[in-house]
Amino acid sequence: MDTNTNCNVNKDQTKSWDKIINSLKDFFGKDIVRYIVKRILMFIPTIFLVSFLVFFVIQLPPGDYVSSEVAKLAGEGEYLSEKEANDLRAEYGIDKPFIVQYGMWIRDIIWTPTDSQYYRINHSHHNWKYSFEQKKNVWTVIEERLGITILISSIIMIFQYAVSIPIAVYSATHQYSAGDYIASIVGFLGAAIPNFVLAFVLMYLSYKWTGNAQVGLETKEGVIGFLKSLVIPIIVIGTSGTCGIIRSVRAQMLDEIGRQYTLTARAKGVKESTIIMKYCFRAAINPTVSGLGGILSSLFSGSTVTAMVLGLQIQGPQLLAALQAQDMYLAGSIVMVQAILVVIGILLSDIVLAFLDPRIRYSGGSR
Amino acid sequence: MSKKKKTKEDYYLASQWTLMARKLKKHKLAKVSLIILAILYFGALFADFFAPYSISNTSSLYKDTFPSKIHVMHDGEFVGPFVYGLTKTINKKDLKAPIVIEEDTSQYYKIGLFVHGDEYKVLGLFTSDIHFFGLKEGSNGGTSARIYLFGGDVLGHDILSRIIVGGRISLTIPFASAFISFFLGITIGSLSGYFGGVFDMIVQRIIEVIGAIPQIPLWMALSAAIPDGISTVKIYLYITIILSFINWTGMARIVRGKFLSLKNEDYVMAARLAGVSTWKIIWKHLVPGFLSYLIVALTLGIPGSIVGETSMSYLGLGIKDPATSWGVLLQEASDVKVVAAYPFKLIPIIFVAITVLAYNFLGDGLRDAADPYK
Amino acid sequence: MDKDNILEVKDLRVNIHMMEGELTAVRGVNFEIKKGETLGLVGESGCGKSLTCKAILAINDKKCEAKGSIKFNSDESGEVEILDLNPKGEEIRSIRGKQISMIFQEPMVAFSPMYTIGNQINECTRLHITKDKKKSKEISMAVMKKVGIANVEKRYNQYPHEFSGGMLQRALIAMALVCNPKMLIADEPTTALDVTIQAQILELMKSLQKDFNTAILFITHDLGVVAKMCDRVAVMYLGKIVESADTETIYANPQHPYTKGLIGSVHKIGGNREDRLFSIEGTVPLAMNLPVQCGFYDRCTVAIDGLCNKAEPELVEIEPGHKVACFACNHEGCKAECERARKEIAEREERERKEAELAAQEAALGKNKKKLFGRRA
Repeated sequence: MDTNTNCNVNKDQTKSWDKIINSLKDFFGKDIVRYIVKRILMFIPTIFLVSFLVFFVIQLPPGDYVSSEVAKLAGEGEYLSEKEANDLRAEYGIDKPFIVQYGMWIRDIIWTPTDSQYYRINHSHHNWKYSFEQKKNVWTVIEERLGITILISSIIMIFQYAVSIPIAVYSATHQYSAGDYIASIVGFLGAAIPNFVLAFVLMYLSYKWTGNAQVGLETKEGVIGFLKSLVIPIIVIGTSGTCGIIRSVRAQMLDEIGRQYTLTARAKGVKESTIIMKYCFRAAINPTVSGLGGILSSLFSGSTVTAMVLGLQIQGPQLLAALQAQDMYLAGSIVMVQAILVVIGILLSDIVLAFLDPRIRYSGGSR
Repeated sequence: MSKKKKTKEDYYLASQWTLMARKLKKHKLAKVSLIILAILYFGALFADFFAPYSISNTSSLYKDTFPSKIHVMHDGEFVGPFVYGLTKTINKKDLKAPIVIEEDTSQYYKIGLFVHGDEYKVLGLFTSDIHFFGLKEGSNGGTSARIYLFGGDVLGHDILSRIIVGGRISLTIPFASAFISFFLGITIGSLSGYFGGVFDMIVQRIIEVIGAIPQIPLWMALSAAIPDGISTVKIYLYITIILSFINWTGMARIVRGKFLSLKNEDYVMAARLAGVSTWKIIWKHLVPGFLSYLIVALTLGIPGSIVGETSMSYLGLGIKDPATSWGVLLQEASDVKVVAAYPFKLIPIIFVAITVLAYNFLGDGLRDAADPYK
Repeated sequence: MDKDNILEVKDLRVNIHMMEGELTAVRGVNFEIKKGETLGLVGESGCGKSLTCKAILAINDKKCEAKGSIKFNSDESGEVEILDLNPKGEEIRSIRGKQISMIFQEPMVAFSPMYTIGNQINECTRLHITKDKKKSKEISMAVMKKVGIANVEKRYNQYPHEFSGGMLQRALIAMALVCNPKMLIADEPTTALDVTIQAQILELMKSLQKDFNTAILFITHDLGVVAKMCDRVAVMYLGKIVESADTETIYANPQHPYTKGLIGSVHKIGGNREDRLFSIEGTVPLAMNLPVQCGFYDRCTVAIDGLCNKAEPELVEIEPGHKVACFACNHEGCKAECERARKEIAEREERERKEAELAAQEAALGKNKKKLFGRRA
C-alpha cells in the first residue's frame, strides 16, 4: 500500500522519499520499516473513529447548545420564541445532520484560532471548540493540566515498570519460594483492590499519622516537595498496574522458562543467568510492552477518581467539572485527548515491539 | 480397587461442566468467594428484612452518630446484649461544642432477632414489618433509642441499612450489565468471526477504539447524558447500559478469536462435510467449546463494573439521593476531615473491596477450572 | 572404567516428583558407549529415552531426580562423574556443548525465536572456543556450510521463522557440532522431518561422525533409522533396557518378545502383500506404583504365568555382546535367571504368608479385645 502511494507522487518527491526509506531500510532492515509505515497508516483511521465516538458521546446529553443558551437567557429575563431558537440553530448549523455537524467539529478542531480571535468569532458563529463554562478555547483549558497529567502518568508508569519487573523475574525464577508466594499474594490483592478504595484508606491514614492530609500536588516547594506530594498518588494509582504487570510477567516468564529453547541453551553450556536474561526475559517482556497502551488507559482511568479523592490538579477533576456543568465540548475534548494519548501509546508500543520481536516484523504484525 | 477404577472412568466420561465444578471445589479461595457472594446477593434480595431500618427512617439525634456500643451489663446485672439511648444536653459554657450528645444510661434497650420495625414489602408482594434484628420495642419502654451498628450518616440514617439496601443497586447493576454485554458480545463476536471481511474489519476497529478510550472517563462522559429528574429505575437502566458499553468489546473479541481459530478445526470441517447446518455447527460444536472461557471473562469483568458504578455514583454522575448505592454512601467520605472525624463512614468501602475481591478470586478459580491442561 | 569407553551409565534411575506421587521413569539403566561408536536407544514414547539422555547432560527438570552413575571420559577432562557435578556449575557447563552436545527432537522449537540463527550458533563457539567475535563467526559459518546450509552469509543473519524444518534441523546439527564434541546425543533428530529430508540428515550425521570421530547416542523409535545408523542397539521398555546387542544380531536374532514385536512391525520391502504388519497390543503402562512383574507382561504373548507376573527379569548375557531380560527365551543364561526368580518368588511368598498370618492373629486379638471392652461397657 505504501509503495503504491509512493509511486503515484511526482518523481522528484518519489526519489527523495525512496532515498529516505531506503536508508531507513538499510539501517533497520526492510521488514521493520514496512511494518512501521503500515502501523502509522492504521493510526489515522483509528484516530478518526475515536473522534467520531467522542462526538457521538458529546451529542448524547439531551438538549443542545441553543437550548442551553435559551435557558440561560430565560434566566436573565429574556425569552426567545421557538422560531427564533430554530433560526439560531440554523445559523449555528446544529440543525444539520449528525455527520455534517461532525465535519464542522473536526474542522474547528484542526483549525486552531487564538483566544482573541475566538471572542470575535463567537458573536457571529458558533464554534465547536469552545468551552461554554470557561469562555475559552478548549485547548487553552486542557493545556493548563495536560502537562502535569502526562508528567504524573509517565512517572507512575516508570515506577510501575521499575518495581514490577524485577519482582516478577525473581518470582518466576524462584517459583514456589516464600518470596514468590508473597509477591503473588500482594500482586493479586493489589490488582484486585480498586484504586479509589486505596486512595481513601491512604488519605485517611496519612491524615491520622501526620495530622495533615496529603492532598493535592505541591508545586511551590521545588522538586523535592513535588516528589513528596507524589508519593501517595503514585502508590494509589500505580499499585494496580504494578501488581498487574507482576502477574503477567511472572506467568509469561514461567511460560518461557518451560520452553524447549531454554533446554537447548542449557545443553550448549550457557550460564543459567544468561538463559534467564538473554532468552526468557527478552521473550517474556514482549506482551508487557504491547500492553503499554492498556496500561496508559488504565492509568488515566484510575487517576480520574483517585485525583478527585486526593485532590490532584490533573485532568480528572477538570473532566468532572466539565461534565457536571454539561460543558460537553470541553469534556469530550478531554476524553479525546486521553484516548489519542492511549492510541499513540499503542502505536509506540507496537513499534518498540517490532524492534524487540523479529516475528512481528516478519508477519507484518497482527495485533 | 473396582471403585477406584470407577472414579477414574467417571473422570474420563465427565462432561466439561462437571470437571469444572469439580476443579472449582478444590479451589478453596474461589469456594469461599462464592459463598460470600451468595450471602451478599441473598442479603440484597431480602434487603428490607435484613436492614434494621427503612432507608427513609431518620433521626436528628443520630446525625453522624458513632456505631452503637453494645453492652451486656446494666447496673452490675447481666441482661444480655442491649444498647443505651442517646440524650442531648446543651452546654452553654463551651461555645465551641454547645450540644453534647451522650449515652443515656438510665434505660436499656435489648437487642432481639425478628423484631417488629418499619413496614416494607417482601419481594413487592406482601407487607411485613419483621426485621432480622433490631431493638425489642418496649422491652424497657421508649422507642427513640436506635441501634446503628455502623453509625449514622449526615441526615441520621442508619449506615448499615443503607449499605444493605444500596447493595441491591451496587451488586445487581454490574451483574445485569455483564449479561447484556454477554449477549452483545456473543452476537457481534460470532457474526464478526463468522462473516469476516468488511463487517469484521469495522467491528474490529470499533472494538479497538472503544478499548483505547480510558474506561472511567468514558463512563463519566456517557453518564452525563442521563437526564435529570428521571426515576431511579430509569437511571438504573441507563447505568447498566453504559457499563455494558465497554464490556461487550472484550467478550466479542474472545468470541471472534475463538471462532476464527475453531472455524478451521478438523471437527468443524467434519461436521460440515456430514451436512450439519451452519447454525447447528455454531451452537452445538463451536459455542460450547469456549463458553467456559466466556463465563470466566464475564466474572472477571464484573469487578470493573462494580468499581465503575461506585465511582460514578460517588462522583454524583450515577445513582443520586434519595436512591442508595455504595457509591452514594461514599459521597459523605469525600472530605478528609469528615473521614478523620467519623472514620466509620469508610465502612461502605469494605463492602466494595470484599465484593470486588470475591469476584476476582472466583474468576481466578473459574479460569483455573476452565483450563483443561491444569 | 574402560579406556575405550567414552560414557558408562550404571544403574541410572530417574524419579519424577509429581502431584500424584513419585514416578520412576527410568528404572536402572546400564549401558556404555565406545569412542566413535553409535549406540541406538530404541523404544516407544514414554519409555524413558529422553530422560536418560537429559540426565547425561544434567539438564533435567527440577522435578526430576537422577540417581546412579554416569561416567564420562575424555582426553580433555579425564574421568568425570556427571551426577556428582552441580548442574548449574562451571564444570558441567564446560562439558555441555563442548564435549557432549545434543540435537533435539523438534528443531522448530529448539531455537529461540528472538535471535538470529547465527547468533545462537555463535554463542556456542564464543562460550567454548574463542572470545574473538570475528573468528567465532568464521567458525560458525564454516560449520553451517559443512552441514549443507546454502547461502550462509544470508542465512547467518536470519531468524528461525525464516528457516524451513529441514534447514533448522541442519542448523541445530551445526550448533551441536560447532565445538567438535566427543560425543553427540541425538534425541529423535529426524521424527519431525519428512522422509526425504530424514535421509539427507542421516547421511549428513554419518559423514560428520567420520570426520570428527564422534560417538553418537542415537535415540529413536524408528528401527529403520537404527539399521542405517547404529553399531549397537539397546531396546528400552518402561524405563529399563530389555535387550541389547549389535545391530545385526538384533535384526537377525531378536530374543525379547518386545524386540521381536518391534522388528515385526517394520514394513519390509519385497515382503508378501498378504503379510500383515505385526502390532503390539496395548500401551506402555504408567510407571507409577508398578506391581512386581515384568513390565511387558500385560502385552506379552509368550508370558509364563506364575513367573513373569511375579518377578522382574534382569539383563543376562546370553551370547557375547548380546544381553536380554526375559524369562521366556530359551538360553542357558535365561534359565539360570528363571531359577533365581523362582527362588525369589518362593521366598517372598513365604514371607508374605507369614506376615499375613501375623496380621490375622493380631486382628483376631484386636477383635477379642473389642469384645471384652464392649461387654464391659
